[in-house]
This record gives sequence, structure tokens and C-alpha cells, in this order.
Amino acid sequence: MSAEIAIGRKGRAAGRHGAFGDAAFKTLTLAFAVLVLVVLAGVIASLVLGAAPALEHFGFNFLITEAWNPVTEKFGALAPVYGTLVTSAIAMLIGIPVAFGIALFITELCPNWLKRPLSIMIELLAAIPSIIYGIWGLFVLAPFVQEHIEPALIDTLGAVPGIGLLFQGPPLGIGVLTAGFILAIMVLPFISAVMRDVFETVPAVLGESTYALGATTSEVVWRVVLPYARIGVFGGILLGLGRALGETMAVTFVIGNAHHIHASLLQPGTTISAALANEFTEAVGDLYLSSLIALGLILFVITFIVLALAKLLLIRLEKQAGS
Amino acid sequence: MIPLYARRRLTNRIIIGLSIAATGFGLLWLVMVLGTLLINGASAIGPALFAQMTPPPGSSGGLLNAIAGSVVMTGIATLIGTPTGILAGTFLAEYARGSQFGELVRFINDILLSAPSIIIGLFVYEAMVVRMGHFSAWAGAVALAIIMVPVIVRTTEDMLRLVPSALREAAAALGAPKWKVVVMVTYRAALQGMVTGVLLAIARISGETAPLLFTALNNQFWSTDLNRPMANLPVVIFQFAMSPYADWQVLAWGGALLITVSILVLNITARILAAWSSFKS
Amino acid sequence: MNSPTARPLATEPDSPDRASDDTAPPRQPRRPLAAPPIAALVQRKPGDEAPKTAMPDVKADVRHVNFFYGKFQALHDISVPLYDRRVTAFIGPSGCGKSTLLRILNRIYELYPGQTATGEVILDGENILMPGLDLNRLRAKIGMVFQKPTPFPMAIYDNIAFGIRLYEKVSKSELDDRVESALRRAALWDEVKDKLRDSGLSLSGGQQQRLCIARAIAIEPEVLLLDEPASALDPISTQRIEELIAELKADYCIAMVTHNMQQAARSSDYTAFLYLGELVEFDETETIFTHPRVRRTEDYITGRFG
Repeated sequence: MSAEIAIGRKGRAAGRHGAFGDAAFKTLTLAFAVLVLVVLAGVIASLVLGAAPALEHFGFNFLITEAWNPVTEKFGALAPVYGTLVTSAIAMLIGIPVAFGIALFITELCPNWLKRPLSIMIELLAAIPSIIYGIWGLFVLAPFVQEHIEPALIDTLGAVPGIGLLFQGPPLGIGVLTAGFILAIMVLPFISAVMRDVFETVPAVLGESTYALGATTSEVVWRVVLPYARIGVFGGILLGLGRALGETMAVTFVIGNAHHIHASLLQPGTTISAALANEFTEAVGDLYLSSLIALGLILFVITFIVLALAKLLLIRLEKQAGS
Repeated sequence: MIPLYARRRLTNRIIIGLSIAATGFGLLWLVMVLGTLLINGASAIGPALFAQMTPPPGSSGGLLNAIAGSVVMTGIATLIGTPTGILAGTFLAEYARGSQFGELVRFINDILLSAPSIIIGLFVYEAMVVRMGHFSAWAGAVALAIIMVPVIVRTTEDMLRLVPSALREAAAALGAPKWKVVVMVTYRAALQGMVTGVLLAIARISGETAPLLFTALNNQFWSTDLNRPMANLPVVIFQFAMSPYADWQVLAWGGALLITVSILVLNITARILAAWSSFKS
Repeated sequence: MNSPTARPLATEPDSPDRASDDTAPPRQPRRPLAAPPIAALVQRKPGDEAPKTAMPDVKADVRHVNFFYGKFQALHDISVPLYDRRVTAFIGPSGCGKSTLLRILNRIYELYPGQTATGEVILDGENILMPGLDLNRLRAKIGMVFQKPTPFPMAIYDNIAFGIRLYEKVSKSELDDRVESALRRAALWDEVKDKLRDSGLSLSGGQQQRLCIARAIAIEPEVLLLDEPASALDPISTQRIEELIAELKADYCIAMVTHNMQQAARSSDYTAFLYLGELVEFDETETIFTHPRVRRTEDYITGRFG
């Protein structure tokens, strides 16, 4: 038996053909990969440093204060955080079922020739930048909501005890509800694209064998496809939520930018990103600016958690599909 | 037996109906957004839009400085973002398969891919605007580049992974060092896909507004100085649309139509390119 | 066993003058020329017998090679000689390790982490499994053609020129000559001479495979590894590839993996039968196909299993 030779060991680099080029190229690509991490580290560092004065000044109260007064320099994050969460919740409430319906239609129901054009159209919806949704929301959707939807909501749901609180006040068109609605339209394509991809990972034999038992399409989807794909569906929803939480321009146009918390969804409010977009360049005073950056830090932490969760779920799904 | 089956069939019909309705609902918005955009924007499109500067309130003008600014900043961002994204994506696809570090970079990159762009704007504001002491086109371009990079990293990695390993083996079997295999063979095989990724990334940043608010800001006048604030379409649209002046609002619609058309053209080109490359192989 | 002597691969490229290699005696003085032809199961104790006078030179000698995919051992103590200017076919059911063995000879397996080989492969007196070896030079010396055609996504001309440019600085006219001669030897010249600038992907499957053979021989290797070179081709293309192998045999040591018994019988001089990662039998092809010594070989060749 000859001596064992460990092939994995690196050889002497000197004089090997192309060794220098190989090392140089690998180092170059590595450097740029590291740059991706550096950007994230830079984002975190700059947000933390920028937010530090405000967080030191207000302490934990920053998170639970509704007031936002540049004159008296009293700032609290509660109203924008509330607005961010509520608009995103409305977006999810509308967006998830509709996105599910679209994904279902594309994967299970629609004729083959329609699949590609439909997918492309949904994806084009995702490509339209948020400022377009914003200007459209301001000039088209908000007046429509003001004239038709909100009066109807006030007359019907507004009279119901309990949830009626959500639909009080004059119909303004501009407000939390309209912002949530715009967000719903914006996250639709993201969620339905992920759901569609996830549904397509379900092995065809599973569906076929269920059909073979005489199951209807909806039963196959409900009993087989959805349980199989639930991790991915949840990941897709979180991905959409991450988008909704951080979405800026579309919301800024239609939310009214008022640092108040109203029970009614018809009233103006604000979100973190809308407050930043509206006030950042006009903010005077270090504390004001620092408070805005602190808002940004809060937004970053929330979206990071949501996106990381989404990503982890989707990675788990990939591993499951791969094995 | 029969009533049960009838109920199942009814449920099925309802669910199918809801699914079709949802699809119609989704497409309705696409049609409505594009429709109003076309109607409102078309009236603003004319020679003046491309020939005149952004006007002061209450007078007519065009978007020339904003269009030029957007082109300049998007161009610089593309020049910075493309090599960065391609090289980082190359690392993930060619050198980091199965490595922990690669997993980490991929994970962080995917987070950055969906991170709110306004946060990137804040970062560049802190890192560049504060340090340089003023808003600048450079800062705007860097912010756009940072938004572009994760998109290109992702598509580059995906496209390189699609290249069959037999092709790499064949090149390596001729005695080519790895970097030559990657640059001369793998890149070539993945070229169309990678170009698609770059086009999609350009489309993504063409409409980005939030990160420019804190970096390039805006400029009512013609400026080619990259160290000064520079006009750009998205911020001009934002400012003009939110204003009470009818002239400005018309220009905002015109700008919005311009951006949307260019983004849709970029997207469709990218798709055709991708379809063409998959057809070829 | 690990010979510390000459390591031309690790230092200077070989002299382009192949003739000297042909006439030079084998560079491994301390081992006999070859295992004898009637050598079923001889791999357990290779080369202990006296060499036969009429034997061709051994170009590459595989000695006690083991191979691991991670912890899984895919090859067990394989020893087999590859003779110069002869075709050696490796046959066996799929998963037997025949392709793996081929991939050891140019260490292409090292592109992937977790794959290791132990033992020795002596090529011109040098152990090519030695660590620190210049793999790129090794691979330039050993050409390989894969199961599926792998034309590079570039012009036909550039496909051939790619390998030449890697190791030599040649003038445009010389490059043209080299490309033409490689394409002629691969019997492709007449079909492509008017469209050298077309993409290699535009050729038919059989043409693509001959392009890959031309590409491999353009850099003037000494050994050619063919991994089921015709399995993805139609019968007519297969026939052309086989004719080509017969011609190329005059200049190269050829190792070929095939799952096609007839092809092995038609095209090879020696045949090795592998089963479950072990070398069951190695002999002259005629002997293997007429008087196999091992029952399992006979069963496989006659189609009783596999």
C-alpha cells in the first residue's frame, strides 16, 4: 500500500500556472462579498450613532410617547410606529387573500397559454415604482375613497358598536385606510409571486393522487397543496409584510402626515417612513434630526426581524424541497 | 351521498370563482394605474417637457434638468453597482458553495434586497452628506448603487449556478485556471441572464425616490456638478404632485409616465433577453 | 512509493516536441513495464511478473487507487495500466465507479470539495496524485471529452483557440493552422470551415462532440479521456466518433468509459470491468469478450445482469 496522499491540501503556490490570477480573482470577489456585509454594518452603525442623542435624551419614553412637537422639541415614536403597524395590517388583511387567489388561479386553474402572460403582468405590477402608486393614490384613489367608499363605510360599519369606532369622522379620502389600501395593491404582486413559486414546488404526483381519489380542485388545494406549502406561504406573507412596513412614497402621498393616533381609520396619521420623507430635509435642530433617525432605527429593527424570519422560512423550504 | 357531493361541488365552484375574482381584482389595478397614468401623462408629454427646465410655481416649463439628473445618477450608480454586484455574486456562486460565510453573505444580501430604501437613504446621508457637509449627486448615486447591488448579486449568483458544471469541467480539463474558466467560459454562458439582472436592477432604481430625498435632494436648475444637489425625476414628481399648482401637477404626471414607460421597457427587454437565452440553451 | 524524482508538471511546461516522448524509455526504472495481459485479478499485486516483450509502453499506471465521496468509498484499491497508443475501455453497470476512475486521471474531481483520492497514478514516471502538483499543467497534458457535448458559448474557432492560447503565445497564422489541423483530425473541418465564426452551440450534437474532441487534441495532450463520448449521440454520429477514436489511437493513450458493450468491443484494445467500485477483471478486449476469467464479467457482457 502506498503512502496516503491528502489531495485536499494546498500545493506550493509558487510557479503554478495561473496561481496568481486565481488567488487575485478569488480575493477580488471575496472583497466585494465582504462589502455586502460592510454595507449592512454601516447601515446599523450610522443609524445607532445618529439615533443615540434622541434615545439618550428621551430614553424608553421615546417608544411610548405620542407627542411630536418640533417647537418644544418633544418627540415620541408612538404615532408613526402605530401608523406603520396599522397600515401594514390593513395591507395584509386585503393583500393575503387576494394574493392567494391569484397564486391559486395561476398554478391550478388557468389554462396553460394564459400562465405566462398573467405571471408577467403580475410581475409588472411589482415593477411599477412606489411613487407612481403614490401620485395615483393622491389624485385618483383618495378622491374615489372619499366620495364612494368612506361614506358607505361610515353609514354601515360605522353604526356597528365596537368596530364602528374604526369608521368615525368625516370622509377625508386622505388617511390610514387609504394608505393601507395602496399598500395592499403594492404588496399583492410580491406575495402572489412567492406563493405561486411555492405552490409549484409541490410535487405534481401529490395533487394527481388526490384528484385520483375524486377530490375537487379546492379540496386538493386546501388539503394537499396548502399544508405542503404552508412554510413557504408564510415566508411569502412575511416578505410582503417587510415591504409594506418600509414602503415610503405611496404612503407619504395619501396618509396625511399627522402625528396623532386616532381610533378611526378614516383620519390622517403617519408612518415611520412617511415622517422621514416629509420632515427629514426640513428638520432643524440636532434633537429633531436625531429623533427622526431613531425612527429609522426602529423601522430597520422591525423590518430586519420580519425579513430575517421570512428568509429563514424560505431557506427551510428550499432545504425541504432539496432533500 | 348525492347532497354531500353537491355541496362539495358548490364549495369548489365558489372557491374557483373567488380565485378568478382575485386575479381580476389584481389586474384591474394594473389597468387602472396604467390607464390614468397614460391619460394624465400624455397631456404633459411634448417637446417642452424634454427641452425646458423645471419651472418656478405657476409657470410652465419642462423636466430637462430632472431627466438629465436621473440619467446621470442612474448611470453612475450602474457603473458602481454592476461590477460590485457581479463580483460578489461570483464569489457566492463559484467560491462559496456550501460555506458558512457564503450562507451569511447570501442571507444578508437577501435582507438588503428587501430592506426599506429610505433606510439606505439615511445611511448615505450619515455616511456622505453629513461628512461632505452638503447634499450631492454623488451621494444620490451611491445610495442608488447600494440599492442596486443586492439585486445584481442575487441574479448573478442564480445565473452562474444555472451554468452546467460540465462546462466548467470541460474548461478546467483543458488546463484553464479557475479564474479563466469563470471569466472566459462561465460568464459567457451566463451573460444574457446577468444582463437581465442588471437591467432589472436599473429598472428598480429608476423610480426610487426615498433614498434620493436625503442625498441628491433636488435642484431647480441645470447642474452638472456632481458635488452639488442635482434634480431628478422622482423627487421632482414628489414635490410637484404634492404642490397646489396645476402646472406642477401636470408636469408630475408627465414625469410619472416617463419613468413608468422606461421601467416597463427595461423590464420587457430584460424578459425578452431572458426568454431568448433560455430558448437557446 | 511516493517518488520524489522528476516533477516537470510542477516546474516547466513540457517540450512541445512529442517525438522525444515517444522514443524515450519509460521514466520509471524501478518498475517493470506492465502487468501481463493475462492478468485477471492481477491488480492485487501489480507488475511483479516479468514483462512480455511485445507489450506496448505503459503511459499511465494506476496503482492502488481508492476514491471517496466524503465518507463513501467509491473505488477500492484499483490498479490498472493504460498503454500508450492503445484504447482502454472501462465498462460496468452504472455506479460502478468507471467514470470516477476517469475523473481521477486529470484530477477534475478536485473542483468539488469533499472528494479525495489515495494511491498513485504514475504518468511518465511521475505520480500525478502528488499534492502540490500543478493541476492546470496536468490537465493540459491530459485531454478529456465528456458525455454530453460541452461546446463553450463562443465561436467554433474560439472554442479550439481557447485551449491553445492558455499555454502558448502563437501568431495569428500559426493559430489558424493549429485550429484547422485540430478540426481536420477531428474530421470536422469540411463541415465547419466556412462558418468558423458561428457559435459552437449552432452545431448538431455529433458535430459538437467532434468539436470537443478537436478542442481537446488542439492542445496536444498525451492522454485522452473519453467519458461515454457517444452516449448522447445518434447511431451515425456514434459511428463517426468511433472511427475518430480508431484514428486518434495512433497518437494517443486513450481511456474510454462506455456503457455500450459493442462499442467497447469494437473500439478498444484493452478492457477493464468494474463492479461496485472494484476492478473485477482487466485484459485484452478480445480475451474479455471471448474468454472472461471471472464469472461476473461474463454475466455482465452477456447481459445477464447490469
